[in-house]
Amino acid sequence: MRTESASHKVRPDQADIVIVGNGALGLFLADELVERRAGSVVVVGPGNRDAGASAAAGAMLGCFGETTTESLRTDASRTRFELGVRAHDRWPEVTARLEEYSTTGSPLLVTPESHVVLNSIGATLDTVNYEAMIKALDEYGKPWAEIDPNEIPGYRPRLDTRALKAVHLPNEGAVDARGVLAALENRLAQTDTVLVDQTVAKLVRNNGQIIGVELDDGHFIEAGTVVVATGARSEALVKTALDDFDTVPMFPGLGFAMLARRTGGEKFRSVVRTPNRGFACGLHVVPGPGDLEYYGATNRLVDTVSSVTWMADVRFLAQYSMQQLDERVASHEVVKWLAGNRPVTLDGFPLIGWLPLSGLYLLTGTYRDGFHCAPLLAEHVANELQGKPGTIDPMFQPTRKPIETRTIEWSIDEYVEHNLAGWFETGAQAAPQMTTNQIADYYRNMAIKFYETMNIDYALGPDILWYAQGSLLGARRVARYFQRLARAEAQPVGA
Amino acid sequence: MTISQESTTEAVRALVDKHLNLTAHGFEFGVDDDLWNLGMTSLSCMGLMLTIEDTFQVELPEEALKEDTFRSVGSITAAVRSASEVRA
Repeated sequence: MRTESASHKVRPDQADIVIVGNGALGLFLADELVERRAGSVVVVGPGNRDAGASAAAGAMLGCFGETTTESLRTDASRTRFELGVRAHDRWPEVTARLEEYSTTGSPLLVTPESHVVLNSIGATLDTVNYEAMIKALDEYGKPWAEIDPNEIPGYRPRLDTRALKAVHLPNEGAVDARGVLAALENRLAQTDTVLVDQTVAKLVRNNGQIIGVELDDGHFIEAGTVVVATGARSEALVKTALDDFDTVPMFPGLGFAMLARRTGGEKFRSVVRTPNRGFACGLHVVPGPGDLEYYGATNRLVDTVSSVTWMADVRFLAQYSMQQLDERVASHEVVKWLAGNRPVTLDGFPLIGWLPLSGLYLLTGTYRDGFHCAPLLAEHVANELQGKPGTIDPMFQPTRKPIETRTIEWSIDEYVEHNLAGWFETGAQAAPQMTTNQIADYYRNMAIKFYETMNIDYALGPDILWYAQGSLLGARRVARYFQRLARAEAQPVGA
Repeated sequence: MTISQESTTEAVRALVDKHLNLTAHGFEFGVDDDLWNLGMTSLSCMGLMLTIEDTFQVELPEEALKEDTFRSVGSITAAVRSASEVRA
């Protein structure tokens, strides 16, 4: 048995399995492998998790609270949605197992419930997603109840952004993300698992086989199996061993959140959130741990992974938390600024499976619910690593082509709707004589011209479209990817 | 393949003209004129970038994918020549 401190200092030369990445996906997988006594496991990842998504997560255990009109519209989206539903059932057992390893002094499950509010500031996108959520709750037979928004503990918005409707979801709470990660590390430290507080510079191959990883200081760890779970950085790391392999492109979805201490007024006792909103997951507050509250909302697809954030995002989160959640937020004491990069794939679906290099496995692309799905995915990946049948649909394999869920026309409509939602929520001003339809036309023309310019026939989600039309690097990555794909398809079989 | 500075400039100028439709609308523009002031938008810049790369068979470095690179025929030509040298 090792102690935690010793575990971090050990620099092994060899392991059966190296997991690159110490976020939720990497640590839950390590935990699952240890439970199964699947061999020696080494997890490599920087202890500060700089710019990682897991350490910045609000960790809402929400699948129905996250519902949008897209969630159940196609078979592929439904399969993805049901991953979340299945993952949800794991959490009571997960928190019970990890609680004894937690050192935060507060329960890991910070709240067992959510309230979703429908206010008028988020445009019609809020309304249709709110309705889609209720429809999905009924379809899956999950409990919910309409509630007077004034009865939600802690919820005291400005009157002009007050909600007129709200639902109570008694089974969708949240965990303390940073507490869960620490508890997982503590638990692993009491096993033979080695946690290496460094980064992997490159994957090392020999012909058609992965043979290990090289750390940032040149130290080599030999391993026959390597799992890449480094979130938004995964694609770049995979390229170090598979330069010519074209997986579905991935972009960092930079999110900003604040942990703040309440100085007065009634505490939030549940997650309080809006429905999913323009390009993002909706404004939300998560109570805890202790007397802290977590405020989150932003999502901005960016060219490169970083832990900086835009002043516009700071302003957005602070102002709208005060307006839409609780006026008293103005005097909260911010104790921590959090910035993390979600792994966002071009088609919005995860990348989970073996890569075309023997022994190399990819586990990423989970966008905004990697934390929530981690225990379920750990079971699936552990099975695959052990040569057993997987437990989730094989559609997420990284060797796939982008999954299609919409037409170009649908993509343009969605883009317009998301931009209108952003327009109204951020209080943008138009000339008084300008109508909403005219604003919509502006965005519609932008999207039409974008598709004409890019010359692609794959329909993008609104967030990817927004990013690519505003970033030369993003546009080039998207355009060149589809050109390579078309060339590969044009080649005769066996060429 | 060696391409003279003049012919690269002329080829870039022709592509810019085609993408921004300048001459057709009666605009005259020189090598150093600011294309953003002449009506280039982020979308037309995106199309121009892709065409420039395809025509000259270069990949502009990531740090060159910014507003300033596409400010004028001269700045685009410089970026193309720099990328061509790297390729050579």
